[in-house]
Amino acid sequence: MKSDQDRLRSRIATAISRRWFMEECGVGLGTLALRSLFSGEYASADTMKPVDPLTSKNPHFPAKAKNIIYLFMAGAPSHLELFDNKPQLTKFDGQLPPAELLKGYRAAFINPNSKLLGPKFKFSKVGKSGQELSELLPHLATIADEIAIVKSMSTDAFNHAPAQILMNTGSQQFGRPSLGSWAMYGLGTESRDLPGFIVFSSGKKGPSGGNSNWGSGFLPTVYNGVQFRNAGDPVLYLSNPEGIDETTQKQTLQAINQLNQYHLNSVGDPEIASRISAFEMAFRMQTSAPELMDISQEPKHILEMYGAEPGKPSFANNCLLARRMIERGVRCVQLFHEAWDQHGNLVNDLKANCKDTDQACTALVKDLKQRGLLDETLVIWGGEFGRTPMVQGGSDGRDHHPNAFSMWMAGGGIKPGITIGASDELGFNAVEDKVHVHDLHATILHLLGFDHLKLTYRFQGRDFRLTDVAGEVVQKLLA
Amino acid sequence: MERLLFSNHCLTVTRLLFIALVFSANIKLHGEETKALSFSGDKIQQVRNILSDKCFSCHGPDEKKRKGKLRLDSKTDAYAMRDDGFPILPGKPQESLIYARMTSSEKDEVMPPPNSGKSLNPQEKELMRDWISAGAPWADHWSFIAPVKPEIPTVKNPNQIRNPIDSFIQKRLEVDGLEPNEVANRATRVRRLYLDLTGLPPSPEELDSILSDNSPDSDQKLVKKLLDSPHYGEKWAQMWLDAARYADSDGYEKDKGRQVWAWRDWVVNAFNRDLPYDKFIVEQIAGDLLPDATDSQRIATGFLRNSMINEEGGIDPEQFRMEAMFDRMDAVGKSILGLTIQCAQCHNHKFDPLTQAEYYGIFAYLNNSHESTTAAYTPDQERKRADVLRKVREAEDLLREQNPDWQTRMAQWEQEINGRKAIKTDWEILRPSLDASGGQKHYLLEDGSILAAGYAPTKHSTEFSAVTGMKKISSVKLELLNDQDLPLNGPGRSIYGLFGLSEFSVMIGPKGKPGEAKKIKIIKATSDANPPEKILDPAFNDKTTVKRVTGPVEYAIDDKVETAWTTDIGYGRSNVPRQAVFVLEKPVELPEGALITIKLNQSHGGWNSDDNQNNNLGRFRLSVSSESDVVSDPIPGRVREALAIDPSKRTEMQVATIFSHWRTIPPEFKNINNEIERAWSEHPQGSSQLVLSQRRKMRPTYRLERGDFLKPKEVVNTGVPAFLNHLESSAGEAPRLQFAKWLSDRNAPTTARSIVNRVWQSYFGTGLVATAEDLGSQSEAPSHPELLDWLSVDFMDHGWSLKHLHETITNSSAYRRSSKPTSLQLQKDPYNRLLARGPRQRVDAEGVRDIALAASGLLNPTVGGPSVFPPAPEFLFKPPVSYGPKVWREDKGPNRYRRSLYTFRFRSVPYPVLQTFDAPNGDVSCVRRAKSNTPMQALVTLNETTFVESARALGLKTVEEGGKSDHERATFAFRRCLSRTPTRQELAVLIEMKTKTSDSVASDSAKALKLAGITAAKVSALESKATPSELAGWVAVSRVLLNLDETITKE
Repeated sequence: MKSDQDRLRSRIATAISRRWFMEECGVGLGTLALRSLFSGEYASADTMKPVDPLTSKNPHFPAKAKNIIYLFMAGAPSHLELFDNKPQLTKFDGQLPPAELLKGYRAAFINPNSKLLGPKFKFSKVGKSGQELSELLPHLATIADEIAIVKSMSTDAFNHAPAQILMNTGSQQFGRPSLGSWAMYGLGTESRDLPGFIVFSSGKKGPSGGNSNWGSGFLPTVYNGVQFRNAGDPVLYLSNPEGIDETTQKQTLQAINQLNQYHLNSVGDPEIASRISAFEMAFRMQTSAPELMDISQEPKHILEMYGAEPGKPSFANNCLLARRMIERGVRCVQLFHEAWDQHGNLVNDLKANCKDTDQACTALVKDLKQRGLLDETLVIWGGEFGRTPMVQGGSDGRDHHPNAFSMWMAGGGIKPGITIGASDELGFNAVEDKVHVHDLHATILHLLGFDHLKLTYRFQGRDFRLTDVAGEVVQKLLA
Repeated sequence: MERLLFSNHCLTVTRLLFIALVFSANIKLHGEETKALSFSGDKIQQVRNILSDKCFSCHGPDEKKRKGKLRLDSKTDAYAMRDDGFPILPGKPQESLIYARMTSSEKDEVMPPPNSGKSLNPQEKELMRDWISAGAPWADHWSFIAPVKPEIPTVKNPNQIRNPIDSFIQKRLEVDGLEPNEVANRATRVRRLYLDLTGLPPSPEELDSILSDNSPDSDQKLVKKLLDSPHYGEKWAQMWLDAARYADSDGYEKDKGRQVWAWRDWVVNAFNRDLPYDKFIVEQIAGDLLPDATDSQRIATGFLRNSMINEEGGIDPEQFRMEAMFDRMDAVGKSILGLTIQCAQCHNHKFDPLTQAEYYGIFAYLNNSHESTTAAYTPDQERKRADVLRKVREAEDLLREQNPDWQTRMAQWEQEINGRKAIKTDWEILRPSLDASGGQKHYLLEDGSILAAGYAPTKHSTEFSAVTGMKKISSVKLELLNDQDLPLNGPGRSIYGLFGLSEFSVMIGPKGKPGEAKKIKIIKATSDANPPEKILDPAFNDKTTVKRVTGPVEYAIDDKVETAWTTDIGYGRSNVPRQAVFVLEKPVELPEGALITIKLNQSHGGWNSDDNQNNNLGRFRLSVSSESDVVSDPIPGRVREALAIDPSKRTEMQVATIFSHWRTIPPEFKNINNEIERAWSEHPQGSSQLVLSQRRKMRPTYRLERGDFLKPKEVVNTGVPAFLNHLESSAGEAPRLQFAKWLSDRNAPTTARSIVNRVWQSYFGTGLVATAEDLGSQSEAPSHPELLDWLSVDFMDHGWSLKHLHETITNSSAYRRSSKPTSLQLQKDPYNRLLARGPRQRVDAEGVRDIALAASGLLNPTVGGPSVFPPAPEFLFKPPVSYGPKVWREDKGPNRYRRSLYTFRFRSVPYPVLQTFDAPNGDVSCVRRAKSNTPMQALVTLNETTFVESARALGLKTVEEGGKSDHERATFAFRRCLSRTPTRQELAVLIEMKTKTSDSVASDSAKALKLAGITAAKVSALESKATPSELAGWVAVSRVLLNLDETITKE
């Protein structure tokens, strides 16, 4: 048996070693995974209370946004039909684009020298701010004064997987941490019984870049996004196996932790204390996750506001779940909705997509606002690139286009009711207040309280950043 | 006595010199006599680390980023007088500019500048001062100098010295005042060895037999036995598979499955036969270029082909070929060199002396290759294949024996055919104009052939238009050609390297008037391949009810889209050049020149273009002729090639090729020919393996500005970086092979260190250099540099034998110690870098699952073969979670319980059990896994199907074999998981668990059966051994055991 003296000494030693670790090695390694995430409630493994890389941390300077909800419109929505009104494109419909625009331009499917295609939908000025929006977005029009529209986005990639990876990790090459992972690395999480970075997908397909879109890259694996789904087990392996009821599960957990505790006492490795805590959290998650997912508890008017229906998986349900997660302290929620790759069937697909998403996105912003959560939650809407002003196929499709596209943001320190940037008359190139993907990332990190130059992680001898070697905060977007 | 932190590396002019532990007298540095006052080599390396980290990004190797024309990574520059003084003036810190700037209190003076986010702490400044005072002894970065065997240090307390490893470690422990732990108990050691060497726990029987061996060298005997086990290769292959970014799919959006398990098996096998590590490298980089390369050596080059492949619609294939090249470079850097060479893809390396041009010099070695696939066979298929080839050979031998005049007859035949008209027609090759639009890209090659690449639609028509000056067009020829960039060498793009041509049509009109083109009827088609009608291969199922068939060439002109021409004449001999000739109903005469459009309808692919279901043409050439009286050459292309060679100059092989065709002609050979056909029909299908093969025509390599493939600058020749070992070129050897030998040369300074360090990392959790992916300037200083060098040289001295390295490490006291920390150890060395205690760490992802399978007795120990599909939630592989619908055919048979190594790995949908325990997904090379400890892991071991099935199997095994009493049974199950006997306390918890569970289901046997996952019939077959509720109790106990921290931990 250890004497009290020994125990005290070992406690001090652990504290010292952890401090050393934190100071010497930055925020920490994966081995420290999820340690005292549970320590608030769990105190039996008394001698070992190691530091946890997921503990909520303060950023470089006071943050405007604490949380992110990123509505990722995978497939790349047409800026020309949704946000970026181009009367000149109507005028030149059916004509070839000016040759100088096409110099060095590469298209995915079409011969770039294809005819221009006029926008398919009408635009009008909405809200007090007079923002211009397409008739496809009647709901968003009601919160035009809450959102900031960026019409001058540009990116480097024009194929889905590399462009999605770039938009989510700041690099076209795989293996880098995602935006959500960086946020977790910098801020930790406030959620005690849910993962800090949760991902959903809806729509026709999964995102092109797969898991790497929410991967932790070279950051510790605890910062990986965790996929949830809105049918069946929300988290993989959440349900007890057949024949195991709650009592047996609880007794199992008790037995496991008891034996782990004996072993901890005998070998003194703090890693065992972490394991005990992890099992406790897993057990709690078995209750909390289904509770979280149960949107039938929401009042009718809220469900209607989103267009959500309990038991019927949809983007709308995911939006509502995103709000519930933010309420429970989840740091970052990313909803992938892959539906926007309109090489053809542009008109009908856009109508359908906007029907599926416009109301829910709008409801999310409104709902966050009415709960006082919008101020601290940054909502981002956008895809991986835009669509060509030139036609693909007959007269109802557009190809991939990286030179100009639009996004919107709301809440979390974003100046509401503004439009920034502009593309040229044909919507081909971003020309005014250009915002590259790296600039967007710098801005998001700024809103979270980070200098994007200083939020770094040493890997392979180099201090890596989300913004690679570029990025400037878009000051005009800041409230 | 100077306190020893790190070892000493110090230079003479030519060689690294290891001097005892401390410099305290005059030493030679670059040939100069320098008074180095007690300044140890390890401290010099610390100084170098400071300079690298704080200064090199602006004052290092990268010329473009260099500020104030000051370079501090080169001795000449750093010590040279400048206008403003000496950057470093040995002996005089105050007069050294860098020290003055480092200690300046002025904001715009101080270095590093505040906006860099970097600064020097007081200790670092002090070290810089001391270093300059001591004469600023210079040393190049330790890892850039080839290791030499250091002297083995003497220690005060030799009690625990079992081999030189212990001397180095003990020396350091003595300096730090730490006592090493005693040796761990026997059972712990045995389990540790099993987990480390095979990845599986010992069975209780194995454990008993080992524990009863009391001979003093029993541990070493066990090590030898385990190294001989096929499971050793399985365990250690994983490390290399990570580094080689192994996965069973392409990555990116489509993430199509690929067959690369033959390479994975090659790795397992290489470890098992202890292929010397230098050869291991050579074969993987250039196995195809070795003299008389074997299939296995060709398959080894799959290492370089583990890169991702993007066949997303609308990609530029060259862009992603370059991405794959960058990935290969990164993988070579991390896995073999242990250097971050990919930093120089866009600019000169900021920390290591590697220029961007040198990066592309290495790139050039790899750039001149085809991305090929070769057929790979399982050992069983290999035997069948050999059998087929033997039968064919024997039959042909018999023919020759029975017809001694065969040579004369064959020569006569050759003369006859040379006079025939068919082949003498003057064909004019059509060179269609191609643009980059469309999903599938087409390239016009120099010989006029067209190569399809990129996205592969499964049902489509493409048109190729060309202008011809030929005034009369009567027939069109379609040649199908091999290409090493196609699956199995082509000529098609299907997984078999074949195709289905649904319809072939021709439109002709006057040149310059596209509106006037008319479809011309084809009245005759001939080909040298006309297989009989066959139902379309199920790989191309399109989910319609239309009956689709393949068959002879007429199927391409029958106006029926559901019939297609294929050249598939069976496995093993279909991937050869073929041709078809189409004769027009009436010649078209256009004196002003014609615009001819050929439409190739390829509608025999499957329903899912996100999967491997295309059945498209790969490489083909179109030509026209004015003659109508033409047929396709009945003589296959390969035979024609051999015939073109002067008979006196033909090789035996070429003669045999001609013979194999000629023998099909004489009618009296019919019986033997039929026999041969029968033999061929037994040829196994095999699978494809991605490999590299040499291009005949050099592809130039350019330095790419900012690493952008659209911005090629000057041409770069093959070459290796100046700061590494010299490349001894040998005439006549292919450059890639020279490069491979250079990588694994004894003088390569990082190659042996890098792998030795990773093996060490695998045993102890952290490498002797913690940054296993980078041994360069920015690497963490080694904890025991001399030990790393001693092990590396010893490894090379023993023929680069990894098994020798394993024996050495496992025989050390450092490895054998108890892992239980003392307070002092935790305080002074929380991460066990000094190794006063043995390693204790959670096993890798694969091991977590494998332990459950082994402990429960479910494990199927079969080694090698195609990847398997253990249980996984189906929705993961379907939209909207996965981009495309993927096939995950859950194995219900014995493959359900194979080792995790064999689990099929989709990059975009990693197998969740393994991913949760930190297995990388193969996107990029990974030489150091994280080890996380999360609630998701708890959910896996508690609830995932394989773990639940393991608990049930162990529960059943326990009542069947574990004795009668609760005590016996609990001990039985416990030992299977933990390889030790439980304490009384532990037994009490387990038995209580059993009792509670049994009681809770005692009155509800249906519930008990459900928990135990067993039918009533099976329980009654247990006879008197257990009731359903008892069995349920033991299943619950097993589930507890499989979830223990200790179960998945190497103690």
